[in-house]
Amino acid sequence: MSASSKVIKDGLWYNNPIFVQVLGICSTLAVTNNLRNTLIMVLGVSFATSMGSLTLSALREFIPRKVRMIVQVLVLSFYVIIIDIVLRAYQPAISKQLGPYVGLIITNCILMGRAEAFAASNPPGLAFLDGLANGFGYGWVLLVVAAIREFLGFGSLFGFKIVGDGFTPWTIMVMAPSAFFLVAIALWIANNYKAKAEAAKKAAPGSPGAPAPQKG
Amino acid sequence: MKLNRNSIIYTAVFTFVVCILFVVILAVANQVTIARVNTNKKLESQVAVLKAFGLADSSTPAGEIDSKYSQFITEKTMDKATAYIATIDGQPYVAVQLTMPGLWGSITAVLATDPKGTVVRGFEVVDQQETPGLGGRISEPWFSDQFREKQTLPDGTIAFAQGSGKGNFDPANGTVDAVTGASRTSDFVSALVNRELALARQIGGTL
Repeated sequence: MSASSKVIKDGLWYNNPIFVQVLGICSTLAVTNNLRNTLIMVLGVSFATSMGSLTLSALREFIPRKVRMIVQVLVLSFYVIIIDIVLRAYQPAISKQLGPYVGLIITNCILMGRAEAFAASNPPGLAFLDGLANGFGYGWVLLVVAAIREFLGFGSLFGFKIVGDGFTPWTIMVMAPSAFFLVAIALWIANNYKAKAEAAKKAAPGSPGAPAPQKG
Repeated sequence: MKLNRNSIIYTAVFTFVVCILFVVILAVANQVTIARVNTNKKLESQVAVLKAFGLADSSTPAGEIDSKYSQFITEKTMDKATAYIATIDGQPYVAVQLTMPGLWGSITAVLATDPKGTVVRGFEVVDQQETPGLGGRISEPWFSDQFREKQTLPDGTIAFAQGSGKGNFDPANGTVDAVTGASRTSDFVSALVNRELALARQIGGTL
């Protein structure tokens, strides 16, 4: 497996920011009650993580160790503010709806996590790919959670009404607690699936991890 | 000569240069877009005022907003609010834009009425940070549509009551449906609406 395909697979599944690293949970709770805001948030995080990792990786030979975290925060917040400026100027409606959440991208642990764990010790191209894969790995989980919450909480998807007027919205789905239990259920399903897949791999005959035959 | 990355001078110079570089880029980006951001803000406020007066709706093209606004609206700055005066079909109307506290942040809204404050012409939320899906529903059309042509109660107020949650569209009863599951937001909006009515009456008396 090449380095880049490993990085992509890790970000999307094997080392998924939500399922495995359990990072970025605050925004998972905050923005997932409608798909449109979630999609913008996901694109924002993916852009900031990938570009931040790319820049920090390119600078890694020059950054003094003592101030590396200050520089990481500076570079990452630079990209977050760029997103904020662009949204305010060109997508005012979305900027208004997302309100403080855009600025809060900087508090998303995935950004600093990837900068410190990967970009600080890998070449720029790979760091960019790692940022993007982690952004999308975070993104697809958020979009699934948001689809469930928006459908049950508003009866719509991306703002388009899916069910008729007779539908009673589940108010709880709009509030933060529903994100807690939906993310927990998603974590449980994903980790269960992973554990089973691993066990099956180990049990496969001839595999190095297969248990030795039992005696007597 | 190899640079000593751990020396104090290198660290200070590096941090300084990096900070200046990124901050300058941000300042330039902000400067380049500031005119556009201000235009967006102005347009947003104009749309809300025109909607409150019933002179525009969601389908009105953005290009027509500015001309319509200058054709109908006269602004009047008050102490803590902005008043707008419009003559529609020969009748004068008054609107007040006011910012008051909400649950999570402040709520800014425009309310238009006749100069005596007896019949509301329209109500429009300009800005709010209430809970999405709960208090945030004050920005939805069903909520603001309840105020259209609504007569105020004999004491000059609009009452917020628990209703079906789908809106109270009877113009004669002086009552609107509060937002289900958002009692606090409804209380804040009630205070805002009734303060705006009082201010509009004050301005209306001078016309």
